[in-house]
Amino acid sequence: MGKLFDLKLVFTSIPELLEKLPITLELAGLAMVLGLLLGLLMAIIKIKKIKGLTQIINFIISAIRGTPVIVQLYIAFFGIPMFFKYLNQRFGTNLAVADIPGFVYAVVALGLNQSAFCAEIIRSALQAVNEGQIEAAQALGMTYLQTLRRIILPQAFEVALPTLGNSLISIIKSTSLAFTCAVVELTAQGRIIAGRSYRYFELYISLAIIYWVITIIIEQAIKFIEKKIRIPDQVALLPAANSRSVEEEHG
Amino acid sequence: MVKIEHLSKKYNDNIVLDDIHLEIKKGDVVGIIGPSGTGKSTLLRCVNHLEIPESGVIHMDGKTVDITRKRGRELRYLQQHTGMVFQRFYLFEKKTALENVMEGLIVVKKMSKEEAKKTAMQELDKVGMSSWANHYPKHLSGGQQQRVALARAIAMKPDLLLLDEPTSALDPELVGEVLDVIRKVAEEGYTMLLVSHEMNFVRHVANRVIFLDKGRIVEDGTPKEVFERPKNERTREFFRKMYMMNQPEYII
Ligand SMILES: Nc1ncnc2c1ncn2[C@@H]1O[C@H](COP(=O)(O)OP(=O)(O)OP(=O)(O)O)[C@@H](O)[C@H]1O
Ligand SMILES: [Mg+2]
Repeated sequence: MGKLFDLKLVFTSIPELLEKLPITLELAGLAMVLGLLLGLLMAIIKIKKIKGLTQIINFIISAIRGTPVIVQLYIAFFGIPMFFKYLNQRFGTNLAVADIPGFVYAVVALGLNQSAFCAEIIRSALQAVNEGQIEAAQALGMTYLQTLRRIILPQAFEVALPTLGNSLISIIKSTSLAFTCAVVELTAQGRIIAGRSYRYFELYISLAIIYWVITIIIEQAIKFIEKKIRIPDQVALLPAANSRSVEEEHG
Repeated sequence: MVKIEHLSKKYNDNIVLDDIHLEIKKGDVVGIIGPSGTGKSTLLRCVNHLEIPESGVIHMDGKTVDITRKRGRELRYLQQHTGMVFQRFYLFEKKTALENVMEGLIVVKKMSKEEAKKTAMQELDKVGMSSWANHYPKHLSGGQQQRVALARAIAMKPDLLLLDEPTSALDPELVGEVLDVIRKVAEEGYTMLLVSHEMNFVRHVANRVIFLDKGRIVEDGTPKEVFERPKNERTREFFRKMYMMNQPEYII
């Protein structure tokens, strides 16, 4: 019998695990981007109360929030190929379903999952921007899209940032379920390595450490960005300008 | 010249504007006065298409704009050629004073950044705020914010400038500095619709005064005519109340 707990292995297996870190980060990153874009779109539809679409989106959000991520991943894994087969049968096309890597299914499923949560976060952040500034932009002759991009989003971003940060952290953790779509990311790699030595406990400890460190890095990065985009507490006056000002007239 | 025709607006059953006709000559400063809730703000907001009326057209610069429509090229034209100064300033919070003034120049007028900066600095200088160019709205007093908001509006060189009680959210000691700037802008020849409760100011800066009551124009004339010889009983009553309140007056 070997040692009950091999502490050294916890650390020596980390480099091999980290080989799959890029997969985990790509999965999380792409899913987050997809989630943000779809979430923004859904949020705007909800705010603008576009008839028909709003109900569809409420339905989707409710369904996504009401089901576990792992089930959604399985549905994507089995459902997307079926959908393609249906298209092929229906329209006589020849879309190569088998060529789509599991990675894509995982990004789609995780991204959709994320979008449901982002939609609510983004909606409340957008609505936190006061109506007056939006009217002021409109009064200047700016279009809604220009106002959205230049006035609303920068402010909403600051409001939403901490919550979106938590969302990113939770999606990083959700990527560990991507094995359901046959993606070998951090956790799957851990299982493979552990299968060789039957040192499951040690490997899971290694994984735990890695995820934890990633989370801490993200938290710090979010704090850094928050500080960076905050309006400074005070700024210095510029040297008095050339011409006589109203201020001076008033003494 | 700007011509407003058949402007009507109601909220549910509440008729706020009742078939308003108004012709404004270039360079006119039109003071709009009247009791609270008679539709003064609504009038300005409809002209700037922040509110959509049930009926109304605006003729401007040879163009006819149907303001009952939701969107369209003419409506964009209208918004780009009218400026608005709000009671509560509504500066862009995440932008400095300078960036606030540059915003419309860059996005709407498509100026280059340098050009916009130069123009914006001139406008800030005009309102005596160039030393505060790098300040964010939260660093500025109400009077300073309103002066920046004025600079933001006039930087766009609007054909019609709408001011909705620009001083009534200000502490009394800050009212003077904003009125000074408005007077300066008026002297530059801007065409303005000015809603204000500062009767003395309206009397001196406007060359035409309109009294709005229950969504109708009941008095329309020179300041002298309206303030000294009002035809309408409602107007006389309004002035009696105003004078009775005996507010501190703006001294020219
Ligand atoms: N969004 C709205 N929904 C319903 N009623 C409204 C709305 N906005 C304004 N009103 C009503 O329209 C009427 C006119 O309002 P408006 O703000 O134009 O008056 P005003 O002349 O500017 O008054 P004040 O001098 O107090 O600013 C008021 O009776 C007000 O209650
Ligand atoms: Mg008003």
